[in-house]
Amino acid sequence: MPRLDQSAPVTLSQNVPADTRSTSVEAQLRQALDRIAELEARDTLKTQFLANISHDLRTPLTAVITHAEILRDGILGPLSDRQIDSISGIISGGRQLLEQVGEILTYARGAANQLTITWTQFQLTDVLAQLTALNESLASKKGVRLEAELPDDLDLVTADREKIAHIVGNLLGNAIDFTPNGGRVWVRASKCKGPHGEECIVEVGDTGIGIDGSHHELVFREFAQVDSSASRQHHGTGLGLTIARKLAELHGGRIWLESELGQGSRFYFTIPYPS
Amino acid sequence: MSEKPHVLVAEDNQLVCDAMKVLFGETGHRVSVAGHVAEIVDIAESDPVDLLLLDLGLADGDGFEVLASLSAQGIKPRVIVALTGRDEPEIVARCKEAGCAAVLLKPVPTRELLSMTAALLAAS
Repeated sequence: MPRLDQSAPVTLSQNVPADTRSTSVEAQLRQALDRIAELEARDTLKTQFLANISHDLRTPLTAVITHAEILRDGILGPLSDRQIDSISGIISGGRQLLEQVGEILTYARGAANQLTITWTQFQLTDVLAQLTALNESLASKKGVRLEAELPDDLDLVTADREKIAHIVGNLLGNAIDFTPNGGRVWVRASKCKGPHGEECIVEVGDTGIGIDGSHHELVFREFAQVDSSASRQHHGTGLGLTIARKLAELHGGRIWLESELGQGSRFYFTIPYPS
Repeated sequence: MSEKPHVLVAEDNQLVCDAMKVLFGETGHRVSVAGHVAEIVDIAESDPVDLLLLDLGLADGDGFEVLASLSAQGIKPRVIVALTGRDEPEIVARCKEAGCAAVLLKPVPTRELLSMTAALLAAS
Protein backbone atom coordinates (compact mmCIF):
# COMPACT_ATOMS: atom_id res chain seq x y z
CA MET A 1 0.00 0.00 0.00
CA PRO A 2 1.48 3.43 -0.89
CA ARG A 3 2.47 5.53 2.03
CA LEU A 4 -0.05 8.27 2.77
CA ASP A 5 1.21 11.74 3.60
CA GLN A 6 -1.31 12.51 6.33
CA SER A 7 0.25 15.88 7.08
CA ALA A 8 -0.69 17.25 3.66
CA PRO A 9 -4.08 18.95 3.81
CA VAL A 10 -6.53 18.19 1.05
CA THR A 11 -7.54 21.60 -0.37
CA LEU A 12 -8.91 22.82 -3.65
CA SER A 13 -6.50 25.44 -4.94
CA GLN A 14 -7.88 28.77 -6.14
CA ASN A 15 -4.56 29.98 -7.58
CA VAL A 16 -4.60 28.26 -10.93
CA PRO A 17 -5.44 29.64 -14.40
CA ALA A 18 -9.15 29.45 -15.25
CA ASP A 19 -8.66 27.12 -18.24
CA THR A 20 -6.83 24.52 -16.20
CA ARG A 21 -8.89 24.99 -13.02
CA SER A 22 -11.62 22.45 -13.79
CA THR A 23 -9.11 19.70 -14.68
CA SER A 24 -7.10 20.53 -11.61
CA VAL A 25 -10.17 20.54 -9.39
CA GLU A 26 -11.23 17.19 -10.79
CA ALA A 27 -7.76 15.77 -10.18
CA GLN A 28 -7.74 17.06 -6.62
CA LEU A 29 -11.22 15.74 -6.03
CA ARG A 30 -10.16 12.31 -7.29
CA GLN A 31 -7.12 12.47 -5.06
CA ALA A 32 -9.29 13.43 -2.07
CA LEU A 33 -11.71 10.57 -2.77
CA ASP A 34 -8.79 8.15 -3.04
CA ARG A 35 -7.51 9.38 0.30
CA ILE A 36 -10.92 8.99 1.91
CA ALA A 37 -11.16 5.44 0.57
CA GLU A 38 -7.71 4.63 1.88
CA LEU A 39 -8.44 6.12 5.30
CA GLU A 40 -11.67 4.14 5.49
CA ALA A 41 -9.77 0.97 4.64
CA ARG A 42 -7.23 1.77 7.34
CA ASP A 43 -10.01 2.46 9.83
CA THR A 44 -11.52 -0.95 9.09
CA LEU A 45 -8.10 -2.57 9.59
CA LYS A 46 -7.66 -0.72 12.89
CA THR A 47 -11.06 -1.91 14.11
CA GLN A 48 -10.25 -5.49 13.12
CA PHE A 49 -6.88 -5.22 14.83
CA LEU A 50 -8.55 -3.99 18.03
CA ALA A 51 -11.01 -6.88 17.95
CA ASN A 52 -8.25 -9.45 17.35
CA ILE A 53 -5.79 -8.09 19.88
CA SER A 54 -8.37 -7.74 22.63
CA HIS A 55 -9.54 -11.31 22.02
CA ASP A 56 -5.97 -12.59 22.11
CA LEU A 57 -5.14 -10.64 25.28
CA ARG A 58 -7.82 -12.56 27.19
CA THR A 59 -5.98 -15.88 26.88
CA PRO A 60 -2.74 -15.08 28.75
CA LEU A 61 -4.79 -13.09 31.25
CA THR A 62 -6.85 -16.20 31.88
CA ALA A 63 -3.68 -18.11 32.75
CA VAL A 64 -2.42 -15.35 35.07
CA ILE A 65 -5.71 -15.06 36.95
CA THR A 66 -6.26 -18.83 37.19
CA HIS A 67 -2.77 -19.47 38.62
CA ALA A 68 -3.22 -16.64 41.10
CA GLU A 69 -6.59 -18.01 42.23
CA ILE A 70 -5.11 -21.49 42.65
CA LEU A 71 -2.51 -19.99 45.00
CA ARG A 72 -5.03 -17.76 46.83
CA ASP A 73 -7.37 -20.68 47.49
CA GLY A 74 -4.59 -22.73 49.06
CA ILE A 75 -4.86 -25.50 46.45
CA LEU A 76 -1.06 -25.79 46.44
CA GLY A 77 -0.75 -25.38 50.21
CA PRO A 78 -1.60 -22.83 52.86
CA LEU A 79 -0.43 -19.22 52.59
CA SER A 80 -0.08 -16.46 55.13
CA ASP A 81 -2.68 -13.67 55.24
CA ARG A 82 -0.15 -11.23 53.80
CA GLN A 83 0.58 -13.57 50.90
CA ILE A 84 -3.15 -13.99 50.26
CA ASP A 85 -3.62 -10.20 50.28
CA SER A 86 -0.83 -9.78 47.77
CA ILE A 87 -2.17 -12.48 45.47
CA SER A 88 -5.68 -11.00 45.77
CA GLY A 89 -4.15 -7.78 44.42
CA ILE A 90 -2.86 -9.66 41.36
CA ILE A 91 -6.33 -11.13 40.81
CA SER A 92 -8.10 -7.75 41.16
CA GLY A 93 -5.64 -6.11 38.79
CA GLY A 94 -5.99 -8.93 36.31
CA ARG A 95 -9.79 -8.80 36.39
CA GLN A 96 -9.77 -5.01 35.99
CA LEU A 97 -7.50 -5.35 32.97
CA LEU A 98 -9.78 -8.03 31.60
CA GLU A 99 -12.80 -5.74 31.91
CA GLN A 100 -10.97 -3.02 30.01
CA VAL A 101 -9.97 -5.47 27.30
CA GLY A 102 -13.63 -6.51 27.14
CA GLU A 103 -14.65 -2.88 26.63
CA ILE A 104 -12.21 -2.50 23.73
CA LEU A 105 -13.57 -5.70 22.19
CA THR A 106 -17.18 -4.48 22.52
CA TYR A 107 -16.21 -1.13 21.02
CA ALA A 108 -14.44 -2.80 18.10
CA ARG A 109 -17.42 -5.07 17.44
CA GLY A 110 -19.73 -2.07 17.61
CA ALA A 111 -17.57 -0.08 15.18
CA ALA A 112 -17.55 -3.05 12.79
CA ASN A 113 -21.34 -3.46 13.18
CA GLN A 114 -20.82 -6.93 14.61
CA LEU A 115 -22.94 -6.48 17.73
CA THR A 116 -26.26 -8.28 17.68
CA ILE A 117 -29.25 -7.79 19.93
CA THR A 118 -30.95 -10.75 21.58
CA TRP A 119 -34.47 -9.49 22.25
CA THR A 120 -36.23 -10.72 25.36
CA GLN A 121 -38.93 -9.31 27.62
CA PHE A 122 -37.83 -8.51 31.14
CA GLN A 123 -38.43 -6.28 34.11
CA LEU A 124 -35.99 -3.40 33.79
CA THR A 125 -36.23 -2.47 37.47
CA ASP A 126 -34.77 -5.92 38.36
CA VAL A 127 -31.69 -5.15 36.25
CA LEU A 128 -31.38 -1.65 37.74
CA ALA A 129 -31.71 -2.98 41.30
CA GLN A 130 -29.12 -5.68 40.59
CA LEU A 131 -26.61 -3.17 39.17
CA THR A 132 -27.18 -0.78 42.05
CA ALA A 133 -26.42 -3.62 44.48
CA LEU A 134 -23.32 -4.60 42.46
CA ASN A 135 -21.95 -1.04 42.60
CA GLU A 136 -22.77 -0.52 46.27
CA SER A 137 -19.34 -1.48 47.57
CA LEU A 138 -17.55 0.69 44.98
CA ALA A 139 -19.72 3.68 45.96
CA SER A 140 -19.30 3.16 49.69
CA LYS A 141 -15.51 2.86 49.30
CA LYS A 142 -15.59 6.34 47.72
CA GLY A 143 -17.97 7.69 50.36
CA VAL A 144 -20.69 8.19 47.75
CA ARG A 145 -24.37 7.49 48.53
CA LEU A 146 -25.99 5.31 45.86
CA GLU A 147 -29.77 5.31 45.54
CA ALA A 148 -32.26 3.57 43.25
CA GLU A 149 -35.69 5.16 42.86
CA LEU A 150 -37.59 2.51 40.97
CA PRO A 151 -41.34 2.34 40.32
CA ASP A 152 -43.25 -0.87 41.16
CA ASP A 153 -45.46 -0.74 38.08
CA LEU A 154 -43.08 -0.27 35.14
CA ASP A 155 -44.15 -2.31 32.08
CA LEU A 156 -41.78 -5.06 30.90
CA VAL A 157 -39.30 -3.83 28.30
CA THR A 158 -38.28 -5.73 25.15
CA ALA A 159 -34.51 -5.44 24.80
CA ASP A 160 -31.19 -7.27 25.21
CA ARG A 161 -30.88 -7.70 28.96
CA GLU A 162 -27.09 -8.00 29.01
CA LYS A 163 -26.57 -4.99 26.79
CA ILE A 164 -28.95 -2.82 28.79
CA ALA A 165 -27.06 -3.90 31.92
CA HIS A 166 -23.83 -2.92 30.12
CA ILE A 167 -25.16 0.62 29.44
CA VAL A 168 -26.31 1.10 33.03
CA GLY A 169 -23.07 -0.39 34.39
CA ASN A 170 -21.00 2.07 32.35
CA LEU A 171 -23.14 5.06 33.36
CA LEU A 172 -23.09 4.08 37.03
CA GLY A 173 -19.34 3.41 36.98
CA ASN A 174 -18.70 6.86 35.52
CA ALA A 175 -21.10 8.59 37.92
CA ILE A 176 -19.40 7.03 40.95
CA ASP A 177 -15.94 7.67 39.51
CA PHE A 178 -16.57 11.37 38.91
CA THR A 179 -18.40 12.08 42.18
CA PRO A 180 -16.28 13.09 45.15
CA ASN A 181 -16.60 11.84 48.71
CA GLY A 182 -19.88 12.88 50.33
CA GLY A 183 -21.73 13.04 47.01
CA ARG A 184 -24.77 11.18 45.73
CA VAL A 185 -25.48 8.98 42.71
CA TRP A 186 -28.97 7.85 41.76
CA VAL A 187 -30.78 5.66 39.24
CA ARG A 188 -34.39 6.29 38.19
CA ALA A 189 -36.68 4.77 35.59
CA SER A 190 -40.08 5.77 34.27
CA LYS A 191 -42.37 5.37 31.30
CA CYS A 192 -42.97 8.41 29.13
CA LYS A 193 -44.07 9.61 25.73
CA GLY A 194 -41.19 9.85 23.24
CA PRO A 195 -41.03 11.30 19.72
CA HIS A 196 -42.01 7.94 18.20
CA GLY A 197 -44.30 6.50 20.86
CA GLU A 198 -44.01 5.26 24.41
CA GLU A 199 -40.60 4.57 25.83
CA CYS A 200 -38.88 3.72 29.05
CA ILE A 201 -36.46 6.38 30.21
CA VAL A 202 -33.57 5.61 32.55
CA GLU A 203 -31.72 8.36 34.41
CA VAL A 204 -28.33 7.98 36.07
CA GLY A 205 -27.49 11.16 37.93
CA ASP A 206 -24.77 12.38 40.23
CA THR A 207 -23.68 15.39 42.26
CA GLY A 208 -20.16 15.12 40.82
CA ILE A 209 -17.87 17.49 38.97
CA GLY A 210 -20.23 18.03 36.03
CA ILE A 211 -19.49 18.59 32.35
CA ASP A 212 -19.43 21.91 30.53
CA GLY A 213 -22.08 22.26 27.81
CA SER A 214 -19.44 22.53 25.08
CA HIS A 215 -18.30 19.00 25.91
CA HIS A 216 -21.67 17.24 25.94
CA GLU A 217 -21.19 15.71 22.49
CA LEU A 218 -17.47 15.07 22.97
CA VAL A 219 -17.97 12.70 25.92
CA PHE A 220 -19.74 10.20 23.65
CA ARG A 221 -16.80 10.09 21.24
CA GLU A 222 -14.34 7.24 21.52
CA PHE A 223 -11.30 7.57 23.78
CA ALA A 224 -12.57 10.95 25.10
CA GLN A 225 -12.18 12.38 28.56
CA VAL A 226 -12.99 16.03 28.61
CA ASP A 227 -9.70 17.30 29.97
CA SER A 228 -6.29 15.90 30.66
CA SER A 229 -6.49 16.52 34.41
CA ALA A 230 -9.66 14.39 34.48
CA SER A 231 -7.95 11.58 32.56
CA ARG A 232 -5.05 11.63 35.01
CA GLN A 233 -7.40 11.08 37.93
CA HIS A 234 -9.91 8.76 36.27
CA HIS A 235 -8.57 5.72 34.56
CA GLY A 236 -10.35 3.76 31.92
CA THR A 237 -10.46 3.07 28.25
CA GLY A 238 -12.46 6.22 27.50
CA LEU A 239 -14.90 4.01 25.63
CA GLY A 240 -17.68 3.58 28.20
CA LEU A 241 -20.00 6.28 26.87
CA THR A 242 -19.24 5.49 23.21
CA ILE A 243 -20.29 1.90 23.90
CA ALA A 244 -23.35 3.05 25.88
CA ARG A 245 -24.46 5.20 22.95
CA LYS A 246 -23.90 2.41 20.42
CA LEU A 247 -25.88 -0.07 22.53
CA ALA A 248 -28.74 2.39 23.16
CA GLU A 249 -28.96 3.16 19.44
CA LEU A 250 -28.93 -0.53 18.53
CA HIS A 251 -32.15 -0.75 20.59
CA GLY A 252 -33.65 2.19 18.69
CA GLY A 253 -33.20 4.36 21.77
CA ARG A 254 -31.48 7.68 22.46
CA ILE A 255 -28.86 8.74 24.97
CA TRP A 256 -27.98 12.25 26.15
CA LEU A 257 -26.94 14.23 29.17
CA GLU A 258 -27.83 17.34 31.13
CA SER A 259 -24.98 18.89 33.02
CA GLU A 260 -23.04 22.00 33.87
CA LEU A 261 -19.59 22.29 35.30
CA GLY A 262 -19.76 21.93 39.07
CA GLN A 263 -23.48 21.07 38.99
CA GLY A 264 -23.38 17.29 38.65
CA SER A 265 -24.59 15.32 35.63
CA ARG A 266 -27.73 13.48 34.61
CA PHE A 267 -27.38 10.91 31.84
CA TYR A 268 -30.55 9.59 30.21
CA PHE A 269 -31.25 6.79 27.78
CA THR A 270 -34.45 5.40 26.38
CA ILE A 271 -35.73 1.98 25.41
CA PRO A 272 -38.70 2.22 23.04
CA TYR A 273 -41.79 0.14 23.86
CA PRO A 274 -43.00 -1.89 20.87
CA SER A 275 -45.91 -0.03 19.23
CA MET B 1 -15.73 -42.91 43.96
CA SER B 2 -12.52 -44.91 43.97
CA GLU B 3 -11.16 -43.72 40.62
CA LYS B 4 -10.38 -40.09 39.93
CA PRO B 5 -12.61 -38.48 37.29
CA HIS B 6 -10.85 -38.04 33.96
CA VAL B 7 -10.78 -34.40 32.84
CA LEU B 8 -9.77 -33.66 29.26
CA VAL B 9 -8.69 -30.06 28.74
CA ALA B 10 -9.13 -29.22 25.05
CA GLU B 11 -7.21 -26.00 24.71
CA ASP B 12 -4.48 -24.86 22.35
CA ASN B 13 -2.81 -22.32 24.60
CA GLN B 14 -0.07 -23.87 26.69
CA LEU B 15 -0.38 -21.27 29.47
CA VAL B 16 -4.07 -22.00 29.97
CA CYS B 17 -3.48 -25.76 29.70
CA ASP B 18 -0.87 -25.58 32.45
CA ALA B 19 -3.20 -23.60 34.70
CA MET B 20 -6.07 -26.06 34.20
CA LYS B 21 -3.74 -29.00 34.75
CA VAL B 22 -2.71 -27.61 38.12
CA LEU B 23 -6.27 -26.64 39.08
CA PHE B 24 -7.90 -29.99 38.32
CA GLY B 25 -4.85 -32.16 38.99
CA GLU B 26 -4.48 -30.76 42.49
CA THR B 27 -8.17 -31.14 43.31
CA GLY B 28 -8.63 -34.88 42.81
CA HIS B 29 -8.91 -35.27 39.04
CA ARG B 30 -6.86 -37.10 36.43
CA VAL B 31 -6.03 -34.60 33.70
CA SER B 32 -5.21 -34.93 29.99
CA VAL B 33 -4.58 -31.96 27.74
CA ALA B 34 -4.75 -31.63 23.96
CA GLY B 35 -4.91 -28.73 21.56
CA HIS B 36 -5.66 -30.34 18.17
CA VAL B 37 -9.01 -31.69 17.04
CA ALA B 38 -7.76 -35.19 16.08
CA GLU B 39 -5.71 -35.50 19.26
CA ILE B 40 -8.70 -34.57 21.43
CA VAL B 41 -10.93 -37.11 19.70
CA ASP B 42 -8.21 -39.83 19.99
CA ILE B 43 -7.85 -39.29 23.73
CA ALA B 44 -11.61 -39.30 24.26
CA GLU B 45 -11.88 -42.55 22.30
CA SER B 46 -9.10 -44.40 24.13
CA ASP B 47 -9.73 -43.12 27.64
CA PRO B 48 -13.38 -42.34 28.48
CA VAL B 49 -13.78 -38.73 29.52
CA ASP B 50 -15.81 -37.67 32.55
CA LEU B 51 -15.40 -33.95 31.97
CA LEU B 52 -14.46 -32.33 28.68
CA LEU B 53 -13.40 -28.70 29.11
CA LEU B 54 -13.61 -27.48 25.56
CA ASP B 55 -12.11 -24.27 24.27
CA LEU B 56 -13.91 -23.18 21.13
CA GLY B 57 -10.78 -21.90 19.37
CA LEU B 58 -8.28 -24.71 18.76
CA ALA B 59 -4.99 -24.95 16.91
CA ASP B 60 -6.41 -26.58 13.79
CA GLY B 61 -10.13 -26.00 13.99
CA ASP B 62 -12.83 -25.17 16.45
CA GLY B 63 -14.64 -26.81 19.32
CA PHE B 64 -17.69 -27.53 17.18
CA GLU B 65 -15.57 -29.80 14.96
CA VAL B 66 -14.57 -31.75 18.06
CA LEU B 67 -18.22 -32.11 19.10
CA ALA B 68 -19.20 -33.23 15.59
CA SER B 69 -16.38 -35.81 15.43
CA LEU B 70 -17.18 -37.18 18.87
CA SER B 71 -20.84 -37.46 18.00
CA ALA B 72 -20.06 -39.13 14.64
CA GLN B 73 -17.98 -41.77 16.42
CA GLY B 74 -20.51 -42.30 19.19
CA ILE B 75 -18.13 -40.99 21.87
CA LYS B 76 -19.93 -39.30 24.73
CA PRO B 77 -18.03 -37.54 27.51
CA ARG B 78 -20.18 -37.56 30.68
CA VAL B 79 -20.13 -33.76 30.90
CA ILE B 80 -19.03 -31.18 28.34
CA VAL B 81 -18.35 -27.60 29.40
CA ALA B 82 -17.38 -25.02 26.80
CA LEU B 83 -14.88 -22.40 27.88
CA THR B 84 -14.78 -19.48 25.55
CA GLY B 85 -13.53 -15.95 25.17
CA ARG B 86 -16.66 -15.03 23.23
CA ASP B 87 -20.08 -14.85 24.85
CA GLU B 88 -22.24 -13.93 21.87
CA PRO B 89 -25.72 -15.40 22.34
CA GLU B 90 -25.55 -17.34 19.07
CA ILE B 91 -22.35 -19.09 20.16
CA VAL B 92 -23.87 -20.00 23.52
CA ALA B 93 -26.97 -21.36 21.75
CA ARG B 94 -24.85 -23.43 19.32
CA CYS B 95 -22.85 -24.94 22.20
CA LYS B 96 -26.00 -25.91 24.11
CA GLU B 97 -27.47 -27.43 20.97
CA ALA B 98 -24.27 -29.46 20.45
CA GLY B 99 -24.54 -31.00 23.92
CA CYS B 100 -22.59 -28.67 26.22
CA ALA B 101 -23.97 -28.63 29.75
CA ALA B 102 -22.61 -25.13 30.32
CA VAL B 103 -20.88 -22.36 28.40
CA LEU B 104 -18.54 -20.27 30.50
CA LEU B 105 -16.68 -17.10 29.65
CA LYS B 106 -12.95 -17.26 30.36
CA PRO B 107 -11.54 -16.77 32.84
CA VAL B 108 -14.09 -18.44 35.07
CA PRO B 109 -13.29 -17.86 38.75
CA THR B 110 -11.63 -21.11 39.86
CA ARG B 111 -13.97 -21.67 42.81
CA GLU B 112 -16.96 -21.33 40.52
CA LEU B 113 -15.42 -23.63 37.91
CA LEU B 114 -14.63 -26.33 40.46
CA SER B 115 -18.01 -26.20 42.18
CA MET B 116 -19.95 -26.08 38.93
CA THR B 117 -18.10 -28.98 37.31
CA ALA B 118 -18.37 -31.03 40.54
CA ALA B 119 -22.14 -30.46 40.57
CA LEU B 120 -22.48 -31.37 36.87
CA LEU B 121 -20.42 -34.54 37.36
CA ALA B 122 -22.47 -35.51 40.42
CA ALA B 123 -25.69 -35.00 38.48
CA SER B 124 -24.58 -36.93 35.39
